[in-house]
Amino acid sequence: MGSTNTPTDYLPIVLMFIVALGFVVTTMVASHMLGPKRKTKIKLDSFECGIESHGNARLPFSIKYFLVAILFVLFDVEVIFMYPWAVNYKELGIVGVIEVFSFIALLLVGFYYMLAKKAVQWED
Amino acid sequence: MKGLLIVSGLGILAMMAEIFKFKKLLFPLVLLGILGAYVANFMEWNSGFSIAVFDNMIAFDKVALAFSGVILATAFFWFIMANDYFEDMPTVVDHFSLVLFALTGALMLTAFKNMTTLFLGIEIMSIPLYVLAASKKKDVKSNEAGFKYLIMGSFASGFLLFGIALVYGATGSFDLMEIRAKISEMGSGMPSFFYAGIIMMLIAMLFKVSAAPFHFWAPDVYQGSPTVITALMSTVVKTAAFAAILRLFMIAFGGVSESWSMVLASVIALSLVIANFSAAVQTNVKRTLAFSSISHAAFMLMVVLANLRSNATLDALLYYSLAYSIGSIAAFGIIYNVTKNGDETFDSFNGLGKRNPLMAACMVVAMLSLAGIPITAGFFAKYFVFTTMIGTGYKWLLILAILTSAVGVYYYFKVIIAMYFKQATTEEPVTIELSQKVVMILTTLFTLALGAVPGFVAEMFKF
Repeated sequence: MGSTNTPTDYLPIVLMFIVALGFVVTTMVASHMLGPKRKTKIKLDSFECGIESHGNARLPFSIKYFLVAILFVLFDVEVIFMYPWAVNYKELGIVGVIEVFSFIALLLVGFYYMLAKKAVQWED
Repeated sequence: MKGLLIVSGLGILAMMAEIFKFKKLLFPLVLLGILGAYVANFMEWNSGFSIAVFDNMIAFDKVALAFSGVILATAFFWFIMANDYFEDMPTVVDHFSLVLFALTGALMLTAFKNMTTLFLGIEIMSIPLYVLAASKKKDVKSNEAGFKYLIMGSFASGFLLFGIALVYGATGSFDLMEIRAKISEMGSGMPSFFYAGIIMMLIAMLFKVSAAPFHFWAPDVYQGSPTVITALMSTVVKTAAFAAILRLFMIAFGGVSESWSMVLASVIALSLVIANFSAAVQTNVKRTLAFSSISHAAFMLMVVLANLRSNATLDALLYYSLAYSIGSIAAFGIIYNVTKNGDETFDSFNGLGKRNPLMAACMVVAMLSLAGIPITAGFFAKYFVFTTMIGTGYKWLLILAILTSAVGVYYYFKVIIAMYFKQATTEEPVTIELSQKVVMILTTLFTLALGAVPGFVAEMFKF
């Protein structure tokens, strides 16, 4: 832990935040102020690929969507672990390779379990 | 360390059991695996040699091995007891692997050396339990239990993380030993947010052991979950959480005990009063035992409060968790069989003395042990806790504990009275599986043996 870190070292990060946030806010405010407003019923309708919307959007829907979403998160996180390893590939050496591969192996067991349990089979 | 590896491997194996069609073999395999883990654990204990692994993140020292031993032994009995419930389920393998993963987390909690492993252990233990609590899919109460447990548990984890972050901010390390060194180096010069961090971590840990005023989830979760899962929660999970609390507060924050001991003392006092008086007015047996587990948590927290005096505190906590776990396994095993028809009130025990004398006798021993009546393990467990407390400045807590224990006797005896002095609605005998009978008799004998020769067991745990 380097104890020489001072608050001013974080200034670039703060600047980046300000720029990122400022860009969004400025464009939104500017387009709101500058653009003409002509409200019609059709324009204010919620837009869903050109198909006319009817009914409430809050309907129960198949649990399979949730399953897919959860599985997506799972394998998404796996990739996150790969990045630091890829960056430090040379320093970590053979130990790193073994560790990452055992991690992937464990994950593949889970993947195989998912397939065998027919989690992605949509038709009964 | 080997125990941890065996149990986690076993969990992955259990996941595969259905796919590779050795479902029938799974139960004996799991029992053998747990036994193997226990033996490996015992060998490590005997060799007295432990090294920290994974960059000094986890180390199975003697204390960790002792707690792991208690957890593995309890888990062994639990699996035999619970098999009847899981046997006919199509999802038995998933349940077993979830339990084994929870067990992995529990073992990690006994041996962490680093805040990261503490957090990981808590999450690995809790997440399967959220699922298991809700595992009776068609039952609204079970769903409620799982949902409440998940929401409240995640909230507590948030507290833990925030606490860890603050402590890290003040000490610059996640390592327990380094935090300890930093505390003794800085003395009273620690920034105030460090103490805020300690209290936040304390809150999170108190939530996990369901001490008042963080106990509101416990009665609902204990009642709603399937009985065998409740048994798991009140034995293995409790023991692991206490091992973690003791380790965290003895090693890392032992140097600043004056900053948290008063908070802990008030929590203990609150838990004793709230738990025992609430338990006395319950009609549901599982709910009563939930409140009883809160009061037992208070007793075990006393050991943490009396920490650092001597190794006697460690012995006391180990003995207490062993006595409580064994007693609970027996009690929940019997409750599981008695309440099979869905009636969970005290009336379901009416006339059990006639309907199944053996079961009733075992229940009496379990209840006496939980109440802390002499010649059972529970009495000496409480006795050891009291002796560790005598040297501290919290004698008022001791008096409160004795007084509230007297209230506790009332609700434990409600079961005994129902079994022997109340007329049963039906005369038909209550049946019980042979394997469960064996567990029941073994745990009962163990409870009596622990009470008969308490010194022997306490001697075994000498470090």
